[in-house]
Formats: sequence, structure tokens, C-alpha cells
Amino acid sequence: MEKIGQAKDTNKLLNISRILAIMILIALVLPSINPIRISSLVGKDSALLTMSVSYPSLKEGFIRALNRDWVQESTLILMYISSVLIVLGILIITVGCLMTLGERRLKKLGAKLMLAGPAVGLPGLLMILPAFNRISQTSNPGRVQPDFPLGFYIFLGLFVANFVFGLINTIRLPKPTEDDHYEIEAKYQLLIMILPFVILTFMFAYLPLWGWRYAFFDYKPGLGLSMENFSGFKWFTYLFKNPATRHDIVRVLKNTLAMSGIGIATSWLPMVFAIFLAELRASRVSRLVQTFTTIPNFISWVLVYTFAFALFSTEGFVNSVLTNMGLISSSTNYLMSSENIWLKMWAWGTWKGLGWSAIIYIAGISGIDQQLYEAATIDGAGRFRKMWNITVPGLIPTFSVLLLLSIAGILSNGMDQYFVFNNSANKDTIEVLDLYVYNLGLGSGGSGNIPLATVVGMFKSVISVTLLFGANRISKWVRGETIV
Amino acid sequence: MAKQVISKRNSKRSRKRKHGFKRSKGDIAFNILNYTFFIVFTLICIFPFYYLLINTISDNNLVRTGQINFYPVGIHLNNYKALINVSNLGTSVLVSVGRTVLGTSTMVAASAFVGYLVTKKNMWGRKYIYRFLIITMYFNAGLIPWYLNMSMLGLTNNFWAYVIPGIVAPFNIILVKTFIESIPAELEESAFVDGAGYFTIFRKIIWPLSKPILATIAIFGAVGHWNSFTDSMILMSGKPELYTLQYRLYIYLNSTSNLSALMGSGGGTISQSVMEAALNMRTIRLTVAMVTIVPILLVYPFMQRYFEKGIMLGAVKG
Repeated sequence: MEKIGQAKDTNKLLNISRILAIMILIALVLPSINPIRISSLVGKDSALLTMSVSYPSLKEGFIRALNRDWVQESTLILMYISSVLIVLGILIITVGCLMTLGERRLKKLGAKLMLAGPAVGLPGLLMILPAFNRISQTSNPGRVQPDFPLGFYIFLGLFVANFVFGLINTIRLPKPTEDDHYEIEAKYQLLIMILPFVILTFMFAYLPLWGWRYAFFDYKPGLGLSMENFSGFKWFTYLFKNPATRHDIVRVLKNTLAMSGIGIATSWLPMVFAIFLAELRASRVSRLVQTFTTIPNFISWVLVYTFAFALFSTEGFVNSVLTNMGLISSSTNYLMSSENIWLKMWAWGTWKGLGWSAIIYIAGISGIDQQLYEAATIDGAGRFRKMWNITVPGLIPTFSVLLLLSIAGILSNGMDQYFVFNNSANKDTIEVLDLYVYNLGLGSGGSGNIPLATVVGMFKSVISVTLLFGANRISKWVRGETIV
Repeated sequence: MAKQVISKRNSKRSRKRKHGFKRSKGDIAFNILNYTFFIVFTLICIFPFYYLLINTISDNNLVRTGQINFYPVGIHLNNYKALINVSNLGTSVLVSVGRTVLGTSTMVAASAFVGYLVTKKNMWGRKYIYRFLIITMYFNAGLIPWYLNMSMLGLTNNFWAYVIPGIVAPFNIILVKTFIESIPAELEESAFVDGAGYFTIFRKIIWPLSKPILATIAIFGAVGHWNSFTDSMILMSGKPELYTLQYRLYIYLNSTSNLSALMGSGGGTISQSVMEAALNMRTIRLTVAMVTIVPILLVYPFMQRYFEKGIMLGAVKG
């Protein structure tokens, strides 16, 4: 009885140790608690992990200071070694933490490593102290701005806690016997194997959500976030109260909805394309048609724009043919015009995507039971009757799923197409929401309004997800099947 | 032999009957219209490719004034030779090839491995881990937070920004998982009984058997990598030597600078004056575009048979 109680206690202590390990791992990727930011010249947007991987990213802000001799390079090297040691220590802790999932022998080794990790990391962390000393003796404190980082105490606390619990665990865990091998249960083995991919997903799909906090600050690149520039919901109200922005949003939404709307209104085209293609009796011709109409889908929008440039610019195909025929006397650049730009964009999209989108319907047609057609023929049904009464109903389920998905994606036209075709003449009518966010935040060479662009992006993301789940709900309700 | 001939004749007759009878006038008219439409649309689809080609191999003076419209005149390959001298083009080709090869191979390996792991029912917390990976298909934080995140992780002006974020591709994981679930479980079980671990089973059984689906995702992944240019534009603004070929082409299309600014001086075999007489911005732009298209056209025949597989599997959800 007592033994079970003790095992439970050990487990509890191990769990505390594991949570501490996860905490210090997360601390590693948060730029705001970077412990080596002992001067304002250390980049405010990079986490400790980044700096330990590349020395240049640490040195970046110091180039001027080094040239003027405000800071010695040896100080920087000291900081770099410190960051490498800290990261190494945390790495050892992480490996140890994973090992504690194993059987007795592995568990013991894991606990030892969780003790060794802080033993490596702590000296590294303490090396920040002499580095800070040296940097505060700078000849130009106004520029270098020595400032002892809060992150130091956080890392110190975490390392010490990890060390203490690592020590307790190392003592308390039962000694492995001769029969114990380095073993780990299958369920944990699988977990460890998938973990790197879970971490990657977290870093590139979930961590950006943390970037939504920029919407609440008066952020300027390079300045970082602090309570001083916290602005609450300023940018949210700004979006609706500022007449210029409001006007922009209305214009951009009009473009977005119009172009998506044209796409949705013509989304039956691929289906009709497939149905008529199936009516081509010569199979060799239909194969050729299919081959060549699919190619455009695989080239980038830059290349599509190159085609547009080659065909429709001043020296392009259309101008020279019309001139040769004597229909026009002077060339015009058709790309520099905003006339019917929505329809033109739709036309390019259709040129690129029609053959490709038809493939799913072509596959759908070949999946329809041939006996239906035979029976209809015997009943005297003509070609069009069969198309209308057999083929079309057979394809409607696919069509409705794709239609729902395209309605859910009504705000997401992507920016590639509109970005490449965008120019000074058509920029008011071509700008869709995705392009607007880009132009607003990043387009103007570093002077963009990042918080406002984040706010617009947040609205877009939330509405898109809502629409998607709405579409899913409708699909479940009407067809009894979900789409996502 | 004789039998074959007879059956051939029979089939010929039956085919003839199938098409021969009941051909009304409306039917014929419909056929003509239908064929016309598809042939015209097909021509519209391939004409730009052809137009680009003839404009890069024809006499440059005619090209400059827009006289090459339907057939090439004065065929030569000087434009292609001159590309050696176009500044920055070589590094862009290297970057594009590098990211395509590295990005695709890591993505395929990861999708295969993760796709295999998530079929293992005894994984700790499998259901939640799978959902954690897959749900990322349906939301994203938006362009700006994505950019700030990449910059926070040190992936701006860094080649690995092309590769690492694309390693885990949820949609491809679903495709591989669905495929692996169709492989008979007995194969794996017998290997397991023989003492093989997860890695061995993956390497010796799962990987070889799922090659068809891996080829499919590899092709789509490679095309995606080759074609992308916005990541280059957004993330590499401080390091032009990391621009991809597509973005480089975009820059050439929009640059107003003259030819000599574009061409690096020295190093080439053709002297400056000869080169300028033979070339102009228009031909260089079109030639670079042609070079960008060629890899796609080369792999296209191999891609085609995977289309249907890929797009139909896409309809399967996790």
C-alpha cells in the first residue's frame, strides 16, 4: 500500500518536472523574455532560440556599435556562448523529459539528464552577468542603452526549479535492476516519433495566432511590444471610424465579393465542360483536349502574367495583329486599363483553371453506372435527355460540395493573381482583401501599418472559419454528410 | 489468327452500327459545334506557350516590333545563350531548384512517416494529436502574423524559410493515411510478430507499398514549390540572392531599367555591343519565362496519370 502511494508521489513529482521542462522550452521561443537582451541593440523581435542558431542575427543590431567601438566583439561572443549553453541545457532537459516516459532504466537516465540540463544551462545564464557588466561600461550609454532583462530572472527561476525537481526525481526514482533494459512502451514510442512534427505544426500554424496581439499595440518594426505602446482596441475602432480606411474597406470588399461572386456564378462551367467533353466521340481528341486544357493550371501566376504581357502589351500579339489588319492605327497597352477588370480577372482564372476543375467531374461521369444510359436508350431517350436526366443528377452532389466550399472561401481569393496584374491604372478595382492586407502591412517598404493590417486579417480569418463551419452545417443538414 | 481477324471485323461492324444509326441533323450540328468549341478552347490554352516559344527563337528585330505572330522567322538560339550573362539569373535558378528538391523530399518523407504514425491506434493521445495536425487546414492567422512569426523565428532572409514551414502538410498527411489504411493489416502484423520495430516496418513495408500516393503528393508539392513567389517577395526582401526564379521573372517584367543594367558586365563570351544589338528587354523577358516553364512541361507527361488519383483522393476527408 505504501509502495503504491510512493509510486503515485513519484509520478506527481515527475509530472511537475515535465511541466517545468515544457515551460522552459516555450520560454525559448518567446522574444519578449529573451534573457540576453542586455542592451536595446539586441533585436527585439528575435527569440533566444534564433540568436543561438545564428550569430549574425545577434550581431545584426551591433554593427554600428562595433565599428564605433562602443561595444567589444568579445562581449558579443560571450553573449553568444551564453545563449548556446542555455539552449543546449534546455535541449538536454527536453531529451531527458522524453526519456522519463520510458521504463525504469530509461526513466532514471531521463531524470539524470533533467538534472544535467540545468547544470549546463545555468553557467551559460550566469555568463550574462559579466557580459552585462562590460556592456554597461560602454562609452555611449545613450545608444547602447544597457538594461538588465527581466527574462534573466525567469530563466534563472525555471532552471533552478528544473534542477531541484530533477534532483528530487533522481533520488526518489527506484534503482534499475539487472533485468531492466532501456525500454519504452509502444504508445510513448509512437508519441515521441510524432512529436517533432507536432512541434513544427505548433511553430508554423499555431504560433502565428500569438501574433494577433500586434493588433492591440502601436507597433512599429524593430521597436517591440511593451506596455507603453499598448493601445487596446484603438485599431479596431479606427478601422470603422477613420473615413479613409472605411472607404478603402468598402471598396476592397466590393472587389472581393464581385470577383468571388462572378466565380461562384460561373462555377457550373467545369461541370458543363466535362459533360460536353464526354460527348466527344473520338476518344483520342478528348484525351488531347484534356491534356492541353490542364497545362495552364500548373504554371504560376507570374507566368500567366508573362503571357498577358506578351499578348496584350503595346508590342504584343493583339496589337500587332490588329495593326497588320489595318483595324487600329496606334497601339494600346491593354494591361494598363481598369476597364472590366473583374471580368478580365475571371477570364484569366477560367483560362487557367477550367480544364483542371473539370477533371473531378470527368471522373464523376466515368463513375456513373452505364446501365442507366443503356436503359434510357432502350426507352428512347435522346442524347440531351440522357445528359440532363442522368449525367447532371449524377454530378450534382460533387457540384454542391464544391459550391459550398467556394461560398465558404468567398473572402479568400488569394493574392497572387491580383498582385501580378496590379498596376497604377487598375489598382483601385483589382485590390482584393488578401492583397489589401499585404499592401497595408508590408507593401510600402517597411512603413506599413502592421497593427491595422493584423486587425483586417483577424476579421477575415474569423469570418472565413465561421463561413466554413456554416457551410459544413448546411451540408450536414441537407445531405446528411459533412464536407470538412 | 483467323479468329482475331473475324473479331476485329465484328468489332468494326458493331462500332459502325453504334455510330451509324440514328444520326439526326441536330446531332451532327451539335457534334460540329462541340468539336469546334473544344478545339478552339484547346488552341487558346496552348497558343500562349507557342507564341512565347516562337518569340524567343525568332529574329530579335522582328520580335521587338511585334512582327512574329504565328510562325518563327530567322530561327536562332542566341537569346538562350545570352541568358548566361543576365545578372542574378543563375543564383535564382539554383535557389528554385534547391527549394523544390529539398522542400519536396522533406515534405514527402514527413507526410509518409506521419501518415503512417497516425494509423497506429495505440499511440498515446492519437485522436487529439491527429486533430491538432489536421485542423490547421481550416484556419490561418493571416499574412501579417505569419510574417511576424517567421521573422521572430529568424526565417526571414534565410533559405530554410522555403523548406521548413512546408514539411508538415496536413492535406498530404490525410492522403497518405487514407492510402495506408487500405494496405492489408496482415502484412504489418506479421512483420511485427517477427520482431520488427515501427521504423523497420515503415521503411521495409509501408514506404515501398505507398509509392503511388507518394509520387502524387511529390509532384503536386514540387509544382507548388517551383511556382511560388510571394514567399520570396515577402520574406527575402533583404537578400536578393535568395529570390526564386519566379520572383526574379516578376522583377524583370516590371523593371524599367534598360538592357545593359540587367546584364552583368564581363564573364560572358559575347561582347557587350554584339549582345545589345541582338537582344532587347522583350526577348530577354520572354526567354526567362520560357526557361521557367520548361521544367513544368518536362514533368507534365509524368504528372498526368496522377491527376485523377490526386483529385479523387482529395474528396476523401480525414
